[in-house]
Amino acid sequence: MAELQKDPMTRGDFLGFGVLGAVVGAILTIPPAAFVLGPLIDTDVRGQSDVPSGPDDWFEVAPISEVPAGTEPKVFTVEFPVEQVYGKPEIQEESGTSSKEFTVPSAIWLSWEHEINADGTYGQNLRPSFLDGKSEGLSESEIEEIQSTLNVLSSSCAHLGCPVRWLIREGEGEFLCPCHGGIYNINGEYVAGPPPRDMYSYDFEVREDGIVYAKHQFDTGGDNGPQEPYVI
Amino acid sequence: MIGRIRSQAFETGKFLTDWMEHRTGIVTMMEHFLYEPVPKRGAWLYTLGSATLFCISLQFLTGILLLFYYVPTTDHAWNSIYYIMNEAYFGTLIRGIHYWSANFLLVVIGLHMAQVFFSGGYKAPRELNWVVGVALLLLVVVLAFTGYLLRWDQDGFWASVVGMKIGSYSPFVGGPTIRFLMGGDVIGPSTLSRFFALHVWLLPAALAPLIGAHLYLLRKHGVFGSEFEYSDRLAKLHERERLESYEQYEEDEGEPFTGRRDREDRE
Repeated sequence: MAELQKDPMTRGDFLGFGVLGAVVGAILTIPPAAFVLGPLIDTDVRGQSDVPSGPDDWFEVAPISEVPAGTEPKVFTVEFPVEQVYGKPEIQEESGTSSKEFTVPSAIWLSWEHEINADGTYGQNLRPSFLDGKSEGLSESEIEEIQSTLNVLSSSCAHLGCPVRWLIREGEGEFLCPCHGGIYNINGEYVAGPPPRDMYSYDFEVREDGIVYAKHQFDTGGDNGPQEPYVI
Repeated sequence: MIGRIRSQAFETGKFLTDWMEHRTGIVTMMEHFLYEPVPKRGAWLYTLGSATLFCISLQFLTGILLLFYYVPTTDHAWNSIYYIMNEAYFGTLIRGIHYWSANFLLVVIGLHMAQVFFSGGYKAPRELNWVVGVALLLLVVVLAFTGYLLRWDQDGFWASVVGMKIGSYSPFVGGPTIRFLMGGDVIGPSTLSRFFALHVWLLPAALAPLIGAHLYLLRKHGVFGSEFEYSDRLAKLHERERLESYEQYEEDEGEPFTGRRDREDRE
């Protein structure tokens, strides 16, 4: 090989060209790659999210009194703000040019947990009975009981993210995804169809004033399956 | 009078063409690009590639026109398309051509691929042209996907959500790829910006040189392999037909062939 070359390359030349090539290549590729992959670095490496999800970022869903007492869920819309703004929020606020924030309108299904019989029909409604008399001024133990029996489900199907709807058939209701026919029961548990897991449930809390607050975070990982709600 | 003007115009045209030909070789190039020997049978099938190119050209032209009004922000995207469709002169026509030729493009590109496959047009030495064609097909599919979201209506929005979620099932690369597309971990303003950048700049810029390579390889090897190979095969076919017709003549007339049939052929 070497004797075929008119201008033979020494080992030193080879090393020099290699190092020079690597340096020039890095200078040419790293800035544009980091430029377009910025959001990926923020979310995957630095663990940031476009929706505020700090310890104080709770968003109001609905009062607990509006959750239907029977075997039936009700849907509420929560507008989670998305911080994909280009610019400094303070400057935008001061100039008043772009006060309109982009939000992710998320549909959240609220219902009471039900026991599921062996044949798939609904058993006992686990709604706390003290809610018949009051809907605010809750004690700590009451809040705990509510939090353990309330279903706070994302309407986004765990299969491909289409919004599910509540369908009553032969007296029994179930969540049905219109795209590929995924079916879940009132607790959001997988019943039939292509979804790989149960419906996503939000991280939520109930406060003393009887209002449900939710965070843009979901029960992913562990036993709930590896798939993240990539698009919601 | 008219005759003189006609001959003068003809002379001028001839002079200009020759002038250009001497300096750029454009006439030879056009001849090379425009003419291709094809068999009579099924000749229309060989226009599918040109039909694909025509649809893509329409995409480029109408796309450039649409950019004069389209605003790629979450506040204005839908409204600017509404303006194009209802207020702008011939807006319905321009966007209609962009929309429908995009639909036809995917149909025609599929037919083109099927035609090349069934006629064996991917065989040596044309394998690379098939490879380039597949790259072009994938680029067109991604262009169709990114264009869908730009309308920023419920249809385009949810179709993109479902499309990206389908992609998210790919092992290892699925998640990072769609977070790259979304520009974060939820669909939002940066998603629209990114789809816009891909749809109007990155993908067309990648498409154009590949189309050039596709056409270059087509003209290098031809639809049927090299031009020589084709004329060679054609000559052999004619020779065989000729011999068969001589034999037929001898059978029919019961006397050796004397060349009379040959003269008839020439006439």
